[in-house]
Amino acid sequence: MDKPKTILVIDDASLARLYYRSILEPAGFRIEEAFNGMEALEKLQSVAADLLIVDVNMPLMDGLTLLDTLRQQELPIASIPALITSTESAETDFAAARAAGANHYLVKPVDRDTLVSFATMLCGVPQ
Amino acid sequence: MTDAPPLSKEEFQQLCEYLYRRTGMVFTEAKRYYVERRVIERMSATGSRTFLSYFARLRGNVQTELEHFINAFTVNETYFYREEHQLTCLTGDLLPERTRHKKPGGSVRIWSAPCSTGEEPYSIAIWLLENWPLVDNYEIEILGSDIDTQVLAHAQAGVFGRRALMRLSPYLIEKYFSAYPDDQWRIIDDLRNSVQFSSVNLLEPNDTRRHGQFDVIFCRNVLIYFDDGSRRVAAENLYENLLPGGFICLGHTESMSRISPLFEVRRFSDAIVYQRPAGGSHG
Amino acid sequence: MPLVRKPGSASPPAVQDVRLVQQALASPVSEERWAAARAAADLAGADMALSQALRAESDPRVREAIFTSLAHIGSPVAIESLLSMLRSDTAVLRTQALDALRMVRTLGAVPSQLLRDPDPDVRILSCELVRSLPAPEANQLLCELLATEKNANVCAAAVDVLAEVGEPKVLGTLADCARRFSDTPFLVFAIGAVSDRINLKSASARD
Repeated sequence: MDKPKTILVIDDASLARLYYRSILEPAGFRIEEAFNGMEALEKLQSVAADLLIVDVNMPLMDGLTLLDTLRQQELPIASIPALITSTESAETDFAAARAAGANHYLVKPVDRDTLVSFATMLCGVPQ
Repeated sequence: MTDAPPLSKEEFQQLCEYLYRRTGMVFTEAKRYYVERRVIERMSATGSRTFLSYFARLRGNVQTELEHFINAFTVNETYFYREEHQLTCLTGDLLPERTRHKKPGGSVRIWSAPCSTGEEPYSIAIWLLENWPLVDNYEIEILGSDIDTQVLAHAQAGVFGRRALMRLSPYLIEKYFSAYPDDQWRIIDDLRNSVQFSSVNLLEPNDTRRHGQFDVIFCRNVLIYFDDGSRRVAAENLYENLLPGGFICLGHTESMSRISPLFEVRRFSDAIVYQRPAGGSHG
Repeated sequence: MPLVRKPGSASPPAVQDVRLVQQALASPVSEERWAAARAAADLAGADMALSQALRAESDPRVREAIFTSLAHIGSPVAIESLLSMLRSDTAVLRTQALDALRMVRTLGAVPSQLLRDPDPDVRILSCELVRSLPAPEANQLLCELLATEKNANVCAAAVDVLAEVGEPKVLGTLADCARRFSDTPFLVFAIGAVSDRINLKSASARD
């Protein structure tokens, strides 16, 4: 049996983190949480994550700054796949996320099936 | 007498979410007993008859309630060689990195703020003398500062009770202390005269700027108690007081992720510390 | 003994002149802009200069210092500057603006005005400002918002704040909102969690 994949959920909204956990844990993922980009960088020093789910608007360090910082660090941390979640839906926002190093972008509110299928795909779990 | 738990599951959850947001501290079910006990103590101390009214007090930080609450979870008793892992990190990782490009005879500057009654800066001094092979290669300045002039006077006097020395071996006590009346001990003169003490308000740049820039700052269990605005200002002051590439160590329940975006996180085997970026002045 | 003791020196005199600060804010040297931004916090009349500098500043640390000083000054000009950044297309400017606004004591009616802003992203960020208000006021404002809000993400932001401060009087509004957004699973989930919490807390309330 493969080791479960670990997803680090980074969002300052406790209900968002709870929601993602309530969907992804039953789907077989291990969930870690962080409140903002800075805490995520700290967590990643000691926790190996297979995927990041990153909100954009967070106190002290937003999601795009987190990804930008992450991509400049050393491997393997620098190449962890990242799924951005945001309320913004303009093309400029998608472009900014891509430029920061996001692998994919989901517009909030996110539904269960979308979340599970993208998490599965980005973690490299066979569907 | 009811045997319902002191806090309902929902109240506990709500409190934990608030504390996590505000301080970064994580309280799991395993810590529930300790959290509940603290809430009851504080409700009693503040005359709060319901959890709701106490929580409002905590949220509003009425009469520094956040600090009172969290105090129970950080070790407040001050003694020599407290948080030894940070001292190990200092000589094992931080100073080697800081001195890599320093010439022999160059200065190494360390700041302990707040220093309270002096255990921390004196501990740093003793630790360096005992554990750093390169200690004689540099001119080491240690500054201890506090906003409270009474504790500073105590620190300057260098007299400590037996309890403060509990982590020190008889060898170290013999070497660095002399017996003093009333079962106390006094730091030897050489050491007492080698540590600088000064009154500093971390929120006041005119205070902090007087002391120049440091290689390492220990700033434990103070920033997390300030309100948002004060945390920012204190962090900016401390940033100015760090040399590029210099390190700042917080208390083990604190995180820069709730305080300031100016620093970068560095993880070493013994501790997580924060660093002012090295490249140029502003990274 | 390698330990040496040296007293501190006098700190450099504080800059008093707004024009000097303004000049230094335009310096090509980031350290000088940083120092000017910090000095400006205590200078009456520096709010305009800081506001202008903020728009042009690209160094994130200097920008942080400018935001802190604007928050410290908290004048109408300073607040207006922060609000304009709140509307930025650039994520880091929005979130830093919100961080700064959280520090301002003199916001007055600004949070409740922002909750009625035509831009849903501004309304979302404003819910966070309401979080800092005393619980009764926060409940009142968020209840009014939720009664008529058509954007699911704005509702979600309000509900997240109610997880911290929600009182029983908002339960009806929450239930109505869940009905209106019955096809938005996240919001149904969030409202359910918060309603349960409010219900179960008031059921177990002592005294």
